[in-house]
Amino acid sequence: MQSSEKKKRTVLVVGGGVAGMSAALDLAGSGHRVHIVESGSDLGGQVAKLDKFYPTDHCAFCPLWTEIRRCKESPSIFTLTNSRLETLEKSDGGYRAIITKSTPVIDPELCICCGRCESACPKGVARPIWEHAYPPVYLIDGNRCGDCRTCVDACPTKAIGFEREEEKSELAVDEVIWSTGFTEVSLEPLKEYGWGTHPDILTSLEFEAWKAESGENKGAILRRSNKTAPRSIAFIQCAGARDLRLLPQCSAVCCMHALKQARWVTRRNPAIHCVILYTDLRTVGRDYYEYALRDFGGNGVRLVRGRPSLIYPLPGGDGIAVKFEDTSTQKREIWKFDMVILNGNLKSTLSSLPAGSIHPELDGEGFVKRTATSCGFVMEPSDVTESAIQASSAALRSITDKN
Amino acid sequence: MAKIGVILCTCFGEIGRVVDLESLKTRLEADPAVDFVTIRDSLCLPGDAARTQALIHERGIGKVILGACSTYGKMEFVRLALAREGTDVRTVRAVDLREGCAWVHGKDPEGASRRAANQIEMEIALLQNRRDSKDVAIRMQQEALVIGAGPAGLSAACGLARLGFKTHLVDRGSAPGGLLNVITKTFPIDEPGPEKIKNLIDETGRNSLIRFYGKTKVSAVKGYAGDFKVSLAGPEGNTALRVGAVVLATGARVLFPQGLFGYGKVKNIITQMEMERRFATGAASCKTAVFVQCVGARNSERPYCSTICCPLSLKNAMRVMDENPGAKAYVLHRDIMTPGSVLEAYYRKALQKGVQFIRFDADRPPEMRGKDQVSGIEVFDTISGVSRTLETDLLVLSTPFIPDPDATALARMLNIPVDKYGFYAEVYPIHPVETRNDGIFICGTARWPVASDQAIAQGEAAAMKAASFLGKEDLSALTMSRVPGGKLGHAVADAAACTGCGNCVAVCPYEACRLQRTGNRSVSRVIKVRCKACGSCVSVCPNGAMQMPEQNYRAVGEMIRRAFREVR
Repeated sequence: MQSSEKKKRTVLVVGGGVAGMSAALDLAGSGHRVHIVESGSDLGGQVAKLDKFYPTDHCAFCPLWTEIRRCKESPSIFTLTNSRLETLEKSDGGYRAIITKSTPVIDPELCICCGRCESACPKGVARPIWEHAYPPVYLIDGNRCGDCRTCVDACPTKAIGFEREEEKSELAVDEVIWSTGFTEVSLEPLKEYGWGTHPDILTSLEFEAWKAESGENKGAILRRSNKTAPRSIAFIQCAGARDLRLLPQCSAVCCMHALKQARWVTRRNPAIHCVILYTDLRTVGRDYYEYALRDFGGNGVRLVRGRPSLIYPLPGGDGIAVKFEDTSTQKREIWKFDMVILNGNLKSTLSSLPAGSIHPELDGEGFVKRTATSCGFVMEPSDVTESAIQASSAALRSITDKN
Repeated sequence: MAKIGVILCTCFGEIGRVVDLESLKTRLEADPAVDFVTIRDSLCLPGDAARTQALIHERGIGKVILGACSTYGKMEFVRLALAREGTDVRTVRAVDLREGCAWVHGKDPEGASRRAANQIEMEIALLQNRRDSKDVAIRMQQEALVIGAGPAGLSAACGLARLGFKTHLVDRGSAPGGLLNVITKTFPIDEPGPEKIKNLIDETGRNSLIRFYGKTKVSAVKGYAGDFKVSLAGPEGNTALRVGAVVLATGARVLFPQGLFGYGKVKNIITQMEMERRFATGAASCKTAVFVQCVGARNSERPYCSTICCPLSLKNAMRVMDENPGAKAYVLHRDIMTPGSVLEAYYRKALQKGVQFIRFDADRPPEMRGKDQVSGIEVFDTISGVSRTLETDLLVLSTPFIPDPDATALARMLNIPVDKYGFYAEVYPIHPVETRNDGIFICGTARWPVASDQAIAQGEAAAMKAASFLGKEDLSALTMSRVPGGKLGHAVADAAACTGCGNCVAVCPYEACRLQRTGNRSVSRVIKVRCKACGSCVSVCPNGAMQMPEQNYRAVGEMIRRAFREVR
């Protein structure tokens, strides 16, 4: 192998979550140039919002942090945060991408994370990007900002500026990798889940942030309605997923996610009774089934096979009723819980590009077809490990001729 | 002795308003080891790095202490910016005065100041006494060895060859293809099995960079990442190779359900693999076929899900119905494992086609009926709560993948860890095809039970990782780390002090310590490429012969002495 033979390519990675970062690092490791376009204010994607990983129950952030750091420190990875891909066109053998970058109100280059904007803000909209952002910088939630500009004077490094415009830039790249990941889809159309009718009916990602050790409750398990400890929590699997009315797919990560959350809840507060209502307990990865097995025997977590037909808040704030059939006893039950966590409503995201722009082909369920190079949840529902495998394989395919 | 420069940051008052930086400055200036102390408002803003570098250059100092925020704040970026300006950052130490002193001890300014002084003085002690590990460069053998020519191994070899690396592909069988040679159709697109990898096999034959060794085993692997010396034992005798990276794609075995459900004694009770052979030979005719899932899996002996058996049963159940018009197919399962969108759609397809699914409980497994020839199976259907007896002339048992003993032996030879079942262990969770050891990559069912599509993807992933590794012409031992900035250093054995007790050899997880015979005694020697700077050997060495130059005994002892100076 003579290195002169190697053709150095430039690859555009759309989405800087764990899949996008892994692909970028692999490409950079073999001497290629990578541009990551990330719509969020930092790299990390959905995993950065997780509190714990399964099946180790280890802090999710530490392994991710190393990857973020390697991306930021690599001389051949160029990251554009707060950016979106505007258009993508074919041009002489490669692609021409137009990217719009919006400068956040707080310039991350100048922010020293002193937190004076947070203390100065009368509406409490200045906050760290998230607890573990690296480097830790603040952002201002533009939607709720009262535009009083108190923070501008409070900032010692003059990092805050409201008169910032979007910048457009153009990139010439040889190949594109799609790794835009997933978002939670609204469960509004499925009325029986009662989503939005009570503050104690949460989606699992909302709950993950709510219970996080770095979150506002510092790891305490509390009800969202009155900040008291719940006596019981129901985890509802396949909410919105494996459901032809909303998402036909199995979201693949939710069974383990629910087991992880339930274990964590009982570990933090053994008095809380957790019930997981599942259809099939899908535990296919390394050590996953054993992880689930630990929950079968006691531990405060009960696994019940059944899918609720109705979830409704009881009058007088007396908890939430879950109506379902326990398929192992064939009995119809109505159980009362203090909190209900809905799991499964994860949809692949790919923000639409304007007409004339190149768009990867999608299948009927919204996943990128194999004709385009993609990795992570946008290609197929997948967890961190699966995403990392797909990312490396996508990296390879982006720099070699497909066969 | 080179003098030390100290640059303190007020962080716009974040540090300055708690820690008394002026008296800290006076105190440090009294230290003869310190060249100068400056106080600045920031070190991390644009242009600051250039100013810092200019100051370092002007004073002609090599060692710098930056008293500012934590490494998790902006200090790594400051170090990076300094490195870009041309500073040797190995001797630039960051001391956390903001998060660690000013913020947590905000209510106790005196204590915070004392702690700041202590921490900086400890760093001074370290900088005075630390030494640099000598880096070693290894000439990378830019060739790869792929062991196992199933779907994963073939795709790894093709991937490496596509990237331009010469690849040796070894398999103990005579032809490539692995387990897929047995399978005539694969899920979920019902493609013929060999067809799926035919392209890869063709590419293997076509690409002059790939050399295939059939009926060959790896008899020995010596050396280290970047330069493995491999001996192959094949039909044409022994072959010696030197490769930079090894990809393990050795596959797995399928459990033989001896004694379960009357397998081996009663006729027409077969495994999924035997079912595949029946399909291949056209001997799969039956009126009813019953597939039993989780035979020998998800039990106390093998508490894992083998991933592929559910989709495999879906495929074969549908195939039975296709090939025998009017035939019935039942799948007796515990949970149907079809995660994702593609497999879930495949499950829906099977349901629509009329495959019948009966859910049983692990505590109440189905019971086979029949003496010489299977006649039926009794199963307690947990969903309807009744016991049913299905008449059948064919019972197919879905058994899990189990680790191959050859693969386990290979793991021992290469010193890579296996998990508690015997599958190759990965670097969890973001490096799924990498192992603890550099230059050794894993993919396919040897890593964890996986379907052929994913095995091919894993092969590509392993090829990509191996290619990133092989791409370097010279390998510097100090940069071999997944941690940004490289590893701390490597351990060094002092031959004069070493008594050859072998403690270091016993504790080293990376097999980096070796006893070497010199004259009439044995002394320890560290293979720097393998050393990960964990320090285990240092802690067990009874006479201080094993040292980490960056954090040697003198440096650490002096740090401790300074830390407790005021306490005493």
